[in-house]
Amino acid sequence: MPLSSPGVQATQSADTALPLGRPGRRSWTSRLGEYAGFGPALVLFGLFFLVPLGLIVCYSFWQTVDYNVVHDWTFDNYRYFFSVPTYVRTLWATVWVSVAATALTLVLAFPFAYWLARYVPKRYQKVLLILVILPFWTSYLLRVYSWLTILGPQGAMNRFLQWTGATSKPVSFFLYDRPAVILVLVYLYFPFGALTLYASLERFDWNQFRAAMDLGATPRTAMWRILLPQMKPGITTAVIFVFIPILGEYLTPQLVGGARGVMIGNLIVNFFQGAQYTRGAAAALLIAALIVVLLAVFRRSLEVEDPYGT
Amino acid sequence: MARDLDIVSRRGRLTRGALSVWALLIYVFLFAPIVLLVVFSFNANRYGTFPITGWTTKWYGQVFHDYQIRDALTTTIRIALEVTLVSTVVGTAAAFPLVRSRLRFRSGIRIALVLPIMIPGLLIGVSLLVLFTNVFHQELSPTTAVIGQSVYTTPFVLLLVAARLQGFDASLERAASDLGANTFKRLRYVVLPLLAPAILAGALFAFTLSLDEFIITLFLIGSHNTLPIYIYTQVKFGITPEVNALAALLLAASLCLMALAFVLPGIVRRALRLVPRRAG
Repeated sequence: MPLSSPGVQATQSADTALPLGRPGRRSWTSRLGEYAGFGPALVLFGLFFLVPLGLIVCYSFWQTVDYNVVHDWTFDNYRYFFSVPTYVRTLWATVWVSVAATALTLVLAFPFAYWLARYVPKRYQKVLLILVILPFWTSYLLRVYSWLTILGPQGAMNRFLQWTGATSKPVSFFLYDRPAVILVLVYLYFPFGALTLYASLERFDWNQFRAAMDLGATPRTAMWRILLPQMKPGITTAVIFVFIPILGEYLTPQLVGGARGVMIGNLIVNFFQGAQYTRGAAAALLIAALIVVLLAVFRRSLEVEDPYGT
Repeated sequence: MARDLDIVSRRGRLTRGALSVWALLIYVFLFAPIVLLVVFSFNANRYGTFPITGWTTKWYGQVFHDYQIRDALTTTIRIALEVTLVSTVVGTAAAFPLVRSRLRFRSGIRIALVLPIMIPGLLIGVSLLVLFTNVFHQELSPTTAVIGQSVYTTPFVLLLVAARLQGFDASLERAASDLGANTFKRLRYVVLPLLAPAILAGALFAFTLSLDEFIITLFLIGSHNTLPIYIYTQVKFGITPEVNALAALLLAASLCLMALAFVLPGIVRRALRLVPRRAG
């Protein structure tokens, strides 16, 4: 991207500035006009995105007394959260499930992306890629729901087992536990992982791979020493874009997780539905804090040009 | 070419074969649940799953005659249209300064603007819920849902239009300026027609995303229903063939709209290219 190199950026902005007169002579009105486009976005994102998030931060340090929010600054909400063993266990389970689902997504997506980028003729690559993204553009709710028709007590799996005579009663083995949650999460976020990994593999110069093998490297060495180091930004982006949304998952654990598959998103919703706004805010902020830390750590290697392959 | 090398070695061929099988399995994994859902929606048995006892379209008939579904559909479309309008205008307007002005922290601002996509929708939902109910003391309604969804859909429009603006030939605008066009005329006759495909694609994206949006809407819709919310409340009581049919219809609608979003820009571009030729 030209954004990263100052030279290109300078010529580009000089180019676009020209129709408005030479930079030195520009009046403050034309300067204002240049930024006016941000106006509506500032209102929308400022008032309805940043302010509410700030509000959540405040709420997490305030108190609920008799269903009223009192503006007393305190750590009570956090203390409360960490004093209930179930909540703490849910928090760790959420992190654990997110890590497992992210890792599994990438492990499944890598061979696929590798195949697509390396072995498929260029002209077919785009079509095959769109096919992968296609489910992603359909309803998120329906994609979770579709698994219910497979894994549920009356679902395809159980019906099939009963039909073959393997069991006489429906088993809920497939559903209402963490493995089911992880399976569905992998399903939901696979397109993300595959797309990001493909984007970074597509840019790779396979001649380097060949050169390494000419110099005596085994394919495995070439992969670990040549390919993977160059894919690092792509892998980081994939991890971030899969991990962050999973942290805040509500629907998947709700529909296929049952009581044993609860994640922190479900806790947050319960708090808010029970009008325990300040406690819910503290729980929400724990996720937000995790996300901010992740983004800050990986900021440099993130590629957010077009994360959705649009 | 790296490809020659693989064909030479037996091992390379094996790898390639194994990876092809893997890719095939991935496609099955991705499409099987969706395909099954559609199959079940035509299944005569009333459990909405296996075994298949015959084919019928009666569930679709029930969907069309259910007044709750019709209500939810009206609300969904109304919200989607409003969300499309808001996010197209806001996103397009913001794309200009993002691409063209000499901002200091451009990549930082870019990340800030796509943050609503990255952040879990749950956080957007609950934070707006607190804002509307506890600060503005506003009754929850489809309008609050429109605002919530717009926060999430606008970045998509912004990214699409910004990408097109990036590849925009600035000399065209300078030429228009030399020929005496003022800012408004440049915008009206040069910039917007060239951006039209991207804006249109963005609008279709926003519409589809709004149609399918669940989590933000769940918090902000109040006593109304959109189709995803309706399906959710039904699913909590178990799978029914009507819900399967409704789900299949919604799937088909989003897929058609997305296909349009990919295909239409090309058509518009071609059509726009024809116009001056005919005139000249």
